[in-house]
Amino acid sequence: MENIEKFSRIDRLKLNEEHYFQSLLEQAYLIGLLSEDELEKIQFDCLAILARRAEQYNNGDSSSIQVEAAQNILTSIMFTVGLYLKTCDCPDDAIDALRKEKLETLYLYGRKQIDKMLNITKLLQGRIINDLIDTPNIFYGSTIADGINGFFKLYRQDFSAHEIHITADYPTYHEVCGLVGIEFIKQYLENIYCENSFCNHFTADCIHHLLCGYHEDYQNLLINLFEPIFITALGCVIAHADVSNLKLSFADIDYLTRIFKGASNEKTELILQSALDELRKLFSLPAYTLRYMKKGLPKIISVIENAIVLNTMDRVFLISKYPENTPVLSFSFGDKMDDELYRKIIDEIMQSQDTSTKIKIIKENIYSFADLEDILLDANLSAEDVNAVLHELTPTEIVALIKKHPMLQEIELYNLRESEVLLCNYLNDFLIALPPQQQIWIKKAAKAIDLID
Amino acid sequence: MRFEIALFNNNAHIQKQAVNEVLKYNDLTSHFGLELTEKQAIALVETRIFALKENGRIEFGGGVIDKLIYKFCDSPYIWANNYEQILHDLIETFYYYKNETLDLISDDDLINYMKTAFDGVCQGSLELLSGRELDRLAHNMRYGYAPNYMQDEEDEDGEY
Repeated sequence: MENIEKFSRIDRLKLNEEHYFQSLLEQAYLIGLLSEDELEKIQFDCLAILARRAEQYNNGDSSSIQVEAAQNILTSIMFTVGLYLKTCDCPDDAIDALRKEKLETLYLYGRKQIDKMLNITKLLQGRIINDLIDTPNIFYGSTIADGINGFFKLYRQDFSAHEIHITADYPTYHEVCGLVGIEFIKQYLENIYCENSFCNHFTADCIHHLLCGYHEDYQNLLINLFEPIFITALGCVIAHADVSNLKLSFADIDYLTRIFKGASNEKTELILQSALDELRKLFSLPAYTLRYMKKGLPKIISVIENAIVLNTMDRVFLISKYPENTPVLSFSFGDKMDDELYRKIIDEIMQSQDTSTKIKIIKENIYSFADLEDILLDANLSAEDVNAVLHELTPTEIVALIKKHPMLQEIELYNLRESEVLLCNYLNDFLIALPPQQQIWIKKAAKAIDLID
Repeated sequence: MRFEIALFNNNAHIQKQAVNEVLKYNDLTSHFGLELTEKQAIALVETRIFALKENGRIEFGGGVIDKLIYKFCDSPYIWANNYEQILHDLIETFYYYKNETLDLISDDDLINYMKTAFDGVCQGSLELLSGRELDRLAHNMRYGYAPNYMQDEEDEDGEY
């Protein structure tokens, strides 16, 4: 009973994780655990540590430092003391420690704690790097390897223990909130470790195809890779599909939609919970990974709820996509003719008065698409002439020309020659004049076609 | 819970200690005919607090007033009438140029530089000291030159 009363004196939930020391003092003062005098003494002890650290910061060369630097060191000191106080069993014990021990001693304990955490984090990062998911996503590898290495390089425990220095771009499934300094990095890497320990049960190909189902250009997207893999794996278990290959079909998506439609949150949670249990058995997931995944269930429930309303279940449970199987259209521009002959044809076209004569010359003398493109650029053709030439071309040839001379932003046009800008404009006018369905078809084909010069 | 680092600058006990330390130097400076009254010492400490605040700095330990007194007391350009005023100006100049040199120069080196320039090329002029010599020092420190590096600043007539 005594313990319960002692535990309840300072509410742990009211303490700020980032500014633990300050919030602990504040709460202790508010409930009368610390007097004003004690608080003032702690404040001066902090400043005494600051004076020593500042001297170290200046290498003893200067008696004064800038306020911003001093404030930063003071925050670092408080973070360090707070880090040790967090290891006490309860906040009341932390206050006892503050009373019994000198602040300098607590600070040194905190410094040891930081060193310990730093070593653990380095080991953890090493283990993660050894088992990285084989993915072309640029943010994943660069954050975990290069970004975190940058942190280790810049981290100064004595003067800015509370700083992260890096942006840790790659997002983890559970965001790391309210933590700073080494605490943040440690938690961040622990999250990555849990995510990897699950994702590594699938082959790189399988993950790649699943993520292509999310977006073909996922390599350049700042997304969490674990989330779609985890949710789709749950979907596979529920739909009795192939979990090890993460293969869901449209029929499976329909099945999942039917299962979750109209189901209460409790029912949805029950279904997901039992699927998670199945995954645990299937992959022999360790307890920490299971805890991490379980923490994500409420998030998944709300995502499913929204998907039911918006009818977008296929964006929650993904269907693998195989871009390598998409047919590729290749278009060759062919060889160019002899320069002398080309000059003669150009002169002839330029001397012709009417469009029909120009078309006739082109038809009789031009045999490759590369030459035709040059003629369109060099022969000073009017809009009417170009339009007439374009009407003579097949849809595939139009697609090839549009692919080669796409409509650019105004700023990008500055890099082009005048004749190229004109051709772009003529092509655009020609495209706009086509029926809408045909316009869509041409734009789609232009994306798929592969040009060979 | 706010931790006021400004307490260091405004703490009454620390101020009193600083005044006493300044007054102790009267024993040394009296040989040069220079002495400060308690009122003057308090004013100097206040100037130090003001300069620190103005320049966004905080000072731990002894402070630089003692060092300035010790270094400048034998200057041929300082006598009893201008002693206090020069110290006020030197204190303000010192903290200003600590910032301007990006803390790249130690207290002792900056004071030595000030003394050499004040007694030398500036011939006792505080305007020349802060407006030209220390300005050049700050420029040199910021751009990675040696403290005494001189750029060719003269025009064809040999004037600045």
